[in-house]
Amino acid sequence: MRKKSINNRSRYGYWFILPFFISFIFLGLYPVIFTFFLSFQKWDGLAPEKFVAFANFKRLLTDKVFYLSIWNTLRIWLISFIPQMLMALLLSAIFTMCAVKGMKFFRAIFYLPNLLTAASVGLLFHLLFNGNKSVVNHILKAFHVSGAPFEFFNDPVFTSNLTSYIQWWMWFGYTMILVMAGITTIDRNLFDAAYIDGADRGQTFRKITLPLIRPTIVYIAITSIIGGMQLFDVPSTMSDGTGEPDKAILTVSMYLYNQGFKNHNYGYSAAVSVGLFVIICVMSLVSFKFMKGGEKEHG
Amino acid sequence: MVKITIKKWIKNILLYGFLLLLVVITLIPFYLITVNATHSSFEIVTQLNLLPGKYLMENYRKLQSYVNIWSGFFNSLLISVVFMAGSGYFGALVAFGFEKYQFKGKKFLYALLLASMMIPSQVSMIGFYRLGLKLGLVNKLITFMIPFFAPGVSSVSTIFFLRGMISQGVSTSLLEAARMEGCSEFGIFNRIVFPCIMPGVATMCIFNFVNSWNNYIGPLIMITDTKKYTMPILISLVKGIYLTNYGAMYLAVGISILVVVVVYLFCSKYIIDGLTMGAEK
Amino acid sequence: MRKKLVTLLLTTAVCLNILSGCGSKPVQEENEPTVQEENKPAVQEENLSAEGVIESEVDTNITAELNIWSSGEELQRFVEGFNKIYPNITVNITVIPNKEFLSKLTPVLSGGKDVPDIFTGESDYVKYLVNAGVWDDLTGEPYQAANQLDDIWDYVKDVGTDDEGAVRALSWQTTPGSVIYRRDLAEKVLGVSDPKEVAAYLSDYDKMMETAGIFKDNNIAMFGSWEDVMLMVLSDRSKPWVVDGKLVIDPKMEEFLDIVKEIYEKGYDLNVSEWDPEWIAGVEGDEVFCYVLPTWGYSFMVKANAVNTMGKWGLCEGPNPYINGGTWLGIYKDSPNKEAAWAFLEYVTLNSEALQEYAVTYGEYVGCKTADDALAQGEGEENLAGQNLYKFYNQVMAKNPNVTITEYDGQINTAYKNAAKAYATGKVTKEEAIQQFKEDVATAYPDLVIK
Repeated sequence: MRKKSINNRSRYGYWFILPFFISFIFLGLYPVIFTFFLSFQKWDGLAPEKFVAFANFKRLLTDKVFYLSIWNTLRIWLISFIPQMLMALLLSAIFTMCAVKGMKFFRAIFYLPNLLTAASVGLLFHLLFNGNKSVVNHILKAFHVSGAPFEFFNDPVFTSNLTSYIQWWMWFGYTMILVMAGITTIDRNLFDAAYIDGADRGQTFRKITLPLIRPTIVYIAITSIIGGMQLFDVPSTMSDGTGEPDKAILTVSMYLYNQGFKNHNYGYSAAVSVGLFVIICVMSLVSFKFMKGGEKEHG
Repeated sequence: MVKITIKKWIKNILLYGFLLLLVVITLIPFYLITVNATHSSFEIVTQLNLLPGKYLMENYRKLQSYVNIWSGFFNSLLISVVFMAGSGYFGALVAFGFEKYQFKGKKFLYALLLASMMIPSQVSMIGFYRLGLKLGLVNKLITFMIPFFAPGVSSVSTIFFLRGMISQGVSTSLLEAARMEGCSEFGIFNRIVFPCIMPGVATMCIFNFVNSWNNYIGPLIMITDTKKYTMPILISLVKGIYLTNYGAMYLAVGISILVVVVVYLFCSKYIIDGLTMGAEK
Repeated sequence: MRKKLVTLLLTTAVCLNILSGCGSKPVQEENEPTVQEENKPAVQEENLSAEGVIESEVDTNITAELNIWSSGEELQRFVEGFNKIYPNITVNITVIPNKEFLSKLTPVLSGGKDVPDIFTGESDYVKYLVNAGVWDDLTGEPYQAANQLDDIWDYVKDVGTDDEGAVRALSWQTTPGSVIYRRDLAEKVLGVSDPKEVAAYLSDYDKMMETAGIFKDNNIAMFGSWEDVMLMVLSDRSKPWVVDGKLVIDPKMEEFLDIVKEIYEKGYDLNVSEWDPEWIAGVEGDEVFCYVLPTWGYSFMVKANAVNTMGKWGLCEGPNPYINGGTWLGIYKDSPNKEAAWAFLEYVTLNSEALQEYAVTYGEYVGCKTADDALAQGEGEENLAGQNLYKFYNQVMAKNPNVTITEYDGQINTAYKNAAKAYATGKVTKEEAIQQFKEDVATAYPDLVIK
């Protein structure tokens, strides 16, 4: 009697999880499989697809622009992620150790840019920096900066770093909140014990806090790299979709979009997607390994 | 004693000085949007403007004369609200199903769900496009309202988050009691579980709303009808349409982020608490 | 006071500019056509009546709703006149910026749903659409346009014709080129202002650069942007970018790289890109001598923005005659409204009377020879100090400038500009720039043979 009711009830379990799997199969799984399928085809968007076996992948392996776009994406991510992490650690050290008045206010402000429409942010920075008479050039001229006005978007190094800066600006608050959340899970007694032992605040942070929030940091790194490798909105709207100057901010996502929707090489674009997928998988795996190693170390 | 106080003072000045500097860095772009959206294009090009100007209405008129920005606004609002509500409700239902029922293959299915969180949405974009052509999903805003896997946004983490909430906040004995009263399984969810985890649902709704509102690449690929453009698509076209009309462009940027800023003003506590709770798990 | 006035004028000028037609050129606001009544040419009576007869033969009572996608605002200007003849056809025009046009069009074409009855194609990609088989053959059923095409410039016809010889698209405009120069600055620096005399200073590219040096000595930039000059150089080539699936880099294009470098290094232009605000503002200042632009550049850029410099402009020829840009329109092959679509397309591209009216209102050179000829008989343009632009462009057309449009032009021209810029600014050597260019083309078009 009892058993039957459980069996009966398990039927409801299936019913309740059904909405997810409907969405997953049609809109999650199927498109991914279709992308793999298309990567073996030649398709211009209008005429029927043509099977070309591994031709797209052969091209991919020798495609300089593909490698350049990977390097761009990684570089932009790295240059934004490291300062992001350092700033987050610094701020969470300040907020958790000094009794800062208005902590919630500061925290809320720092997080705000993370919610903005990235496409708008890209356009905004384009407007602020583009041209001899841009807002930023006017500001620099007002301060009599020598060399102003600058042709900012002629300089690949500057443009790439500006993209990193925007990413930093949008994400340091988010990273800070996660790090702080990680710190609050640490047993307070550990800190008290450290103070009793005569450790100062800096030592406590380095010796106790940092090692204990390592899983949080690795979690942030993994999610950040998955997101960072897909970077599209900001560099796209900032450079009008081109990734110029000198393809300095052409990310993998932009490259696959341009190959498909601008050049009408949809099959090749699918191959680039598969390439991106493989890269993200490898990076996630490496990070997971790293995290596991970290966990063992701290038992 | 005095020495210590002075030292403390200097420390405090440095500390708050640093924090305020960071606040300024964070807020400067917002300030520049406000200033430039209220100046004429000519003023923007020829001089440095530090105070708001008087051209707001003029810029608005210019903006509206070529593109109906509110049509993009309402399209975005529509898809974001439906996506948010669907993801919130069905997310809770799926989480409930996984947490409180025993069935064959549960572990495997849940692993599948977790794995699906890792699929980068852009990897499936080309396949999605091809699928969309076959099923006639091009120009259908409804595609973006489907919970969990709308093109360009994913809300699978909602399930993960809410399952945690149910496991902590909804006791199995409460459910048993409800069953004794003759409540149906679906009724239990609607009348007991869902209200119980409402705060968590609300938090996730805010995130899903913002993510859907900001979704750029999905509509960029699937929407071609100007009447169905969403806000980010309109924004990306602004440069091609207004060419040198800087005041109007800044205003367009301003309007597109206004909603998010307003949402944040009212919900920043929920958002940050939600983030913190998520991270603590 | 003067400063204030300039401010006001520039504001208006800047505000008036929005995106449209050829190579994203700005158009004037719909409600402010730049009509100059005194400028109206003598309309040829015979022509008028002849057109009238043709129109009375067709059924003007067609009822339909036409959906049109256009990359510019121009088509909207024809709707009012069109509805006078066909009152029951509702015309809905959707404007999509040039840059996004193909990526928005491909999904609907591919899905076969919600395809507009008529859609435009700009010179950058019109050949792609013409050969993709998405537009109907206008010489076939039910259009039978063949006997009406004699009056159309060959440029318009040839570009709209596919590899098999079917005419799939037509245009309301023809776009021969000119050097649009400032008469007052020419007088001041060169001592001459007449188009013929000024042209003597631009007779070949060496001479042109020499002249640029003279202007530089007077603190005047010869050009608005070197990118303008490329529009002219493209017609100096004997071969297009792609011949039989092979990329061709004409020696003229390689020489052009050095011209760009010289312009950049010696400051012969404003050091801005086309359509940058400073490039546009140059029309109203005294620091730019000329803009090397085709017909659309004159009507949408120079004429539209010249308020302070009104009447100070002239058109002359540069080192070689050229023709560049344009927007074509064709009828979707599976459109359910072919009859109505044809009525509109015919009105916009073949109706000499309507085109003449349009040309007078907006100062554009059009695709119908009779319309241009009639206008060439009329008075000159106030902004050009009385010079008749139709007469001028007729002369350019008579020289048969080289037409080099291919379906690859949009991407290839962009790649070449990038390469030229990299070379001019000293980032790379000439060989590296060309190598870079070839790689970029190979990236966009993997099927092309590139040596």
